[in-house]
Amino acid sequence: MTQQLLPTDPTVLPATSERDSPQGDQQGKARRRPAAGRRKRPGASPAFVAGCMMLGLVLLLAAGGALLPGYDPFGQDLSAAMRKPFTDPDHLLGTDSLGRDMLSRLSLASFVTLGIALAVVILNAVIGTGLGMAAGYFGGRLDSAITTLADVNLAMPVVLLLIAVAAVTGPSATVTIVTLGLTYWVGYARVSRNLARSLRNRDFVLAPLTQGGGHGWVIRKHILPNVFSQILIIAATDIATIILIESSLEYLGLGVQPPVPSWGSMIFEGQKYLGTNPWLAVLPGIVMFLTVAGAQFTSQRFTAEGTTGALLRKGRTA
Amino acid sequence: MFNLDDVPVNSAESPKTALTLSSEPLLQGQSNNNFLRGGTVPQYLIKRTGQAVFTLFCVLTFAFILGRATGKPAGLLLPDNATAAEVDALNGALGFNEPLHVQYLTYLGNVLRGDFGNSYRQRESALALIAERLPATFELAFWSFLLGLLLAVLAATAIQLTGSRTLRSLFIWGGSLRHSVPDFFFALLAVLLFSVALGMLPSLGRTSPASLVLPVLTIATGQFVLYVRLIDAALSDQASQDYVRTAFSKGQSRARVLFSHMLPNSVLPVLTMAGLNLGSLLGGTVVVEAVFAWPGLGQVLTEAVSQRDFPIVQAGLLVVALIFVTVNLAVDLLAAKIDPRVSLA
Repeated sequence: MTQQLLPTDPTVLPATSERDSPQGDQQGKARRRPAAGRRKRPGASPAFVAGCMMLGLVLLLAAGGALLPGYDPFGQDLSAAMRKPFTDPDHLLGTDSLGRDMLSRLSLASFVTLGIALAVVILNAVIGTGLGMAAGYFGGRLDSAITTLADVNLAMPVVLLLIAVAAVTGPSATVTIVTLGLTYWVGYARVSRNLARSLRNRDFVLAPLTQGGGHGWVIRKHILPNVFSQILIIAATDIATIILIESSLEYLGLGVQPPVPSWGSMIFEGQKYLGTNPWLAVLPGIVMFLTVAGAQFTSQRFTAEGTTGALLRKGRTA
Repeated sequence: MFNLDDVPVNSAESPKTALTLSSEPLLQGQSNNNFLRGGTVPQYLIKRTGQAVFTLFCVLTFAFILGRATGKPAGLLLPDNATAAEVDALNGALGFNEPLHVQYLTYLGNVLRGDFGNSYRQRESALALIAERLPATFELAFWSFLLGLLLAVLAATAIQLTGSRTLRSLFIWGGSLRHSVPDFFFALLAVLLFSVALGMLPSLGRTSPASLVLPVLTIATGQFVLYVRLIDAALSDQASQDYVRTAFSKGQSRARVLFSHMLPNSVLPVLTMAGLNLGSLLGGTVVVEAVFAWPGLGQVLTEAVSQRDFPIVQAGLLVVALIFVTVNLAVDLLAAKIDPRVSLA
């Protein structure tokens, strides 16, 4: 597979060999060769490289934006409002309706949105894995209780749930993190429950128990390491979904509150000027697309086509 | 469907066990095979209905807790210069001064009688306000679902008829790329192209059938990749079945086998998926409604949030949960009817 792809895309692939040290490249090839006979083992496919580059660009923007000269996401300058991109050397990507620098705002928005998404995914993974392992390992009533909880959880569309919580508490980043973090864990729970169930009667789990090991210790030392890689796969595929949901909520005004920018709220603000200066909405849209598509391309390296489909189908979709 | 080689798991043996187990549904009773072997669809029906009722009960309770977490609403309802006594009197009139368990039971009783409380701002039944907007949302969700499914069936049959891997990657990659663009942004791009630049279609409101086009297109294309993956997987599963080989060996054409044998047998997973996906469909509709100022559920809910009008939000949440649970119950029972093996799983 990889061998076939090499000549077809000369522009993308050299990037990998440049980045890798010669030694690393050698090892990589040695590792890849036996895999080439298997069906669809993704090496550094063009999609993976493209995905990495897209993600890298966004991460650079999020992390490095604050270091740029003229970084000021909040400073208003009405005399310089609505500049289009690449027309003003002081504001490389133009300014919004209040004259705030778009590049700075995009950078801060990326930082904020990615931070929230990461927090949500970590919270989901911890809750889902914890509950799932407990359900699968202990079984019985606890198992039924947790699976029922998961089922009830699925009966409430996330967007509506967050609307309901925001109606009570008022919208904020914390509400987004907590609500999404507490609701989107079912995929993790299913996979870790099933894995834990299949592992709990294996000798390497039973042996430490007979020697006086506690359940907590056994779960941590023998179940968790076996579940962990699957959890990472789900997290990698989930982060794109989380970003999509999060931005939708921000677009509805239910996330981070102004003046702090987020992709969703920037698009909402820019929508008003679609006829005169569409860049205000399109620029954050492009950054979001780069992130989500980049995350999808990259995570496909870890998931075969069939597995992705199955995991997505069993988890909640958007 | 699963490819063992591609599942990276630390332990050498765990993939196999993981895969066999992960294909079982989550909500499976423990070791009651004997019970199920004796029982038929009615048993399953009772069990599944019980689950649905319990789920709804949980949602109700959750909504109650959320509602009480707001604190007493009179402070929001009365003008700022109201006296403490007036505030207290209104809270009492709304039942907020009762003990919590009394409030809960009253609430459950009211909900069972279809009384979801009155909107704080509009002094009207919250349920009526929601019901007024539901048809618009249904219209959008229904046509979007239909178009998305139709496109996916067309794409999946085209893949199977031609047997082309390129076509499959094309559809799935195209769909994934579209899925990488959030619906609300895709909607904006569509407005930019069709309304601002070309002036062909209305960008706002629900005035003519033409105003359906852009929102439906947005949601349908977003859902497309989910369906096409699923139908394609279902058809590919069927393709390796014995009856397909038999049909081919009788000399039936590829199209005939596909349309009269494989497609009907692939309905089941699609049905289940469509039911589970209903929540995301309605959630997505809510967001897209906001872009197109579509006078549906989304609009009334987001307004209610900004006005802290909790009864409306609560009624919306309960109605959607009711729809979701009912549809999924219907889907599961239908699935058991279509394929008796389902109730044994």
